[in-house]
Amino acid sequence: MKFSQLLTRQASMPVETIPPTRSLWRQLLQHREARVGLLLALFLVGLALGGPLLAPYDPNRPNYREKLAPPSVEHWLGTDQAGRDQLSRVLVGGRQTLGTALLILSLIFGIGLVVGSIAGMSGGIVDVVLMRLVDIVMALPSIVLAIAIVGVLGPGFQNLILALVVAWWAYYARLTRSYVLNARQRPDVIAARLAGIGWGRIMLGHVLPGVAAQLLIIATLDLGALIAAIAGLSFLGLGVQPPTAEWGAMLSDSRLYVAVAPWLLLGPLVPIFLVVVAANLLGNALRDILDPARC
Amino acid sequence: MGHVSLASVQRMRIMLPLVRAVGTRVTQALLTVLGISVIIWGLLPLAPGDPALRLLQARGVQDPTAEQVAAVRADLALDRPLPVQYIEWLGRAVRGDLSVSYQTGRPVLEELGKRMPATLLLSGTALLLALVAALGGGLLCAAYAERWPDRIIRLLTQIGAAAPAFLLGLLVLRFVVVEFGVGRVLSGGQWQYVLLPAMCLAVSRAADWTQLLRASLLEALGAQYVLVAQARGATKLRLLWRYALPNAALPLLTAIGVGLGGLLGGAAIVEAIFTWPGIGSYVLEAISARDYPVVQGFVALIGLSYVTASLLVDLLALGLDPRLRTPRTA
Repeated sequence: MKFSQLLTRQASMPVETIPPTRSLWRQLLQHREARVGLLLALFLVGLALGGPLLAPYDPNRPNYREKLAPPSVEHWLGTDQAGRDQLSRVLVGGRQTLGTALLILSLIFGIGLVVGSIAGMSGGIVDVVLMRLVDIVMALPSIVLAIAIVGVLGPGFQNLILALVVAWWAYYARLTRSYVLNARQRPDVIAARLAGIGWGRIMLGHVLPGVAAQLLIIATLDLGALIAAIAGLSFLGLGVQPPTAEWGAMLSDSRLYVAVAPWLLLGPLVPIFLVVVAANLLGNALRDILDPARC
Repeated sequence: MGHVSLASVQRMRIMLPLVRAVGTRVTQALLTVLGISVIIWGLLPLAPGDPALRLLQARGVQDPTAEQVAAVRADLALDRPLPVQYIEWLGRAVRGDLSVSYQTGRPVLEELGKRMPATLLLSGTALLLALVAALGGGLLCAAYAERWPDRIIRLLTQIGAAAPAFLLGLLVLRFVVVEFGVGRVLSGGQWQYVLLPAMCLAVSRAADWTQLLRASLLEALGAQYVLVAQARGATKLRLLWRYALPNAALPLLTAIGVGLGGLLGGAAIVEAIFTWPGIGSYVLEAISARDYPVVQGFVALIGLSYVTASLLVDLLALGLDPRLRTPRTA
C-alpha cells in the first residue's frame, strides 16, 4: 500500500499520531459503502484468481449432446449453445475481463502520468501542443473512438486494448497536468527548488508520488466504466473473439438464445454488474474520505 | 456631438466580456473540429491492407490487374504525400463529400443521414428522461436529506450508475419485451417504440446527474443567502426551487455537456440490442463488412454532434453565469 501511504502525506494535513496507512485503512473500514465494496471486490478477485481451479468442467470443451441445457445439479448455470458449462466459463472469463481492465488501466495510468507531467513541468509550447491533443481526443466520446479504432483495425483482443488506451488516456494526462501545476506551488516544492535541487529529482521525490496517489483514486472510480466498456465492446463482437470465455462476449452469445435459454444471460450479467458496483462503491468512498468537502 | 449615454456604457460593460467569451469558445470548437478531422482521416491509412486493393475488392473486382490498381491509386491520390492527401480529403469533407460506402456505392453522408434521425430521437429522448429523473430525484434527495426518500434514491443511483446500458437493454429485452409484449424487438425507429431503449440509455446518466444535483443542492442549501431567506420565512419548497436550484444548476449543466458524449456513444450499443435503425447499428454492420468510409462518417457525425452540443451547453452556461465570462486565471 505504498500509494495510500503517500496519499496522506499531502500538504495541509494535520500532524498524524497513527501511521498514515492505518488511518486510511481505518477510514475505509469505517465507511459503510467502502466495506461493502471491499468485500465484493475481494470476493470477485478471489473468484477470478481461483476461477480456473474452481471450474468444474473444461470451459472450452463442447458437448453437443447437452447444448442449451437448463440449470441443473451438474451444470449450475446451464450450458451454452455448444454444450459448454456456463459456470466454468463465467469463472474462467472473470480473469480475462478483470485482467484486461487492469492491463488497460495501468497503460492509461502510465501514459497519462508521463504526458501530463511533461506538459505540466515544461509549460510553454510543449504544454500547449500536448493539451490541444488531449482536448481533441476528449472531444470524441471515448466509446465512439474505441469503436472506430477497433472497427478499422479489425476486431480482436490486442486491438481492443489499443483502442481503449487511445480513447481513454487523455483524461488522465489532463488531470496529471493540473495536479502537477498545483504541486509546483507547494511550499515543499518551492523550498526544494530554492535549495538547488533539480526539477527531475523534485518531480520524482516531491511531485509524482502525490500526483500518482490522486490519480489512483480517479482510476478506481473509472474502473467500473472501463470494465463496462470492455464488456460492451466484446458484446458488440469487437473485442475478445470466441471461443475465449469473456463476460461481454458470453453475454453477446447468450443474446442469440435469449428466447430458449434465458438463464445464459444471468451467468455473465451478474458478475459484470457486481464488479462495476464494487468499483463504484470503493471509488466513491475513497473520494469521500480524501475530499470531505464534497460529500 | 454624439454622446454616449450611461445606460449604453453599462450595456457595453456587460456585453463586451460576453462577446469575447463566446468568440473564444466558438474558436476553440472550430479548432477542435479541425483536430478531430485529422483523427477521422487518420483512421483510413490505419486500416490494414492496400486501400486501392480494398476499394477494388469492395467493387467486386476479385483479382485486379496492376493497371487497375494504379488507376485507383491515382484516382484516390494515394501516390501523393500524406499531408496533401489529408488536405484534399478535408476539402471534400467540408463540402459534405465523405466518399462512398464500399458496400452500396452510395455517398456515406447520404447513408448515414437516413439513419441519423433515429439516433437523434433515441439520444434526445434519453436526455430528456435522464434530465427529468435527475431533477426529480435530486430535489427529493435534497428535500429529505438523510431520510428515507433520500436513502432509497441514493441506493437506486448506486445501482443505476453500475448498470451499463447494454446490461439493462438485454434484461429489458428479455423480461419486458419478450415476456410482456411491450414495445418491439424489431422496431422501425418509430417514436412509439423509443421509450424502452431510451430508458436503458438514460439510466446511468440519470444516476450520475441525480448524485451530482443532490450534492450541489445540499451545498447551496448551506449557504448564507439560504439561511437569510429561511429567517425571512421562505417555505422549504421556495428555498429549494428559488434559491438552491438556480445555483446548483450550473454544475449540472456542465455535467450534462460531458454526459452527452456518453449518450451519443452509448446509443450505438443500445441500438444494436434493440435493432434500432440508427447510425450505431449501421456502423456495426459496416465494421463487419470492412466498410471503412462508413466508420469514418460515423465518427465524423458523432464528433460534430458532440462538439456542437458541448458548445451549446457552454454558451448556455455563459448566458446564465456572468462569472464565467471573465477569462479564468489558471
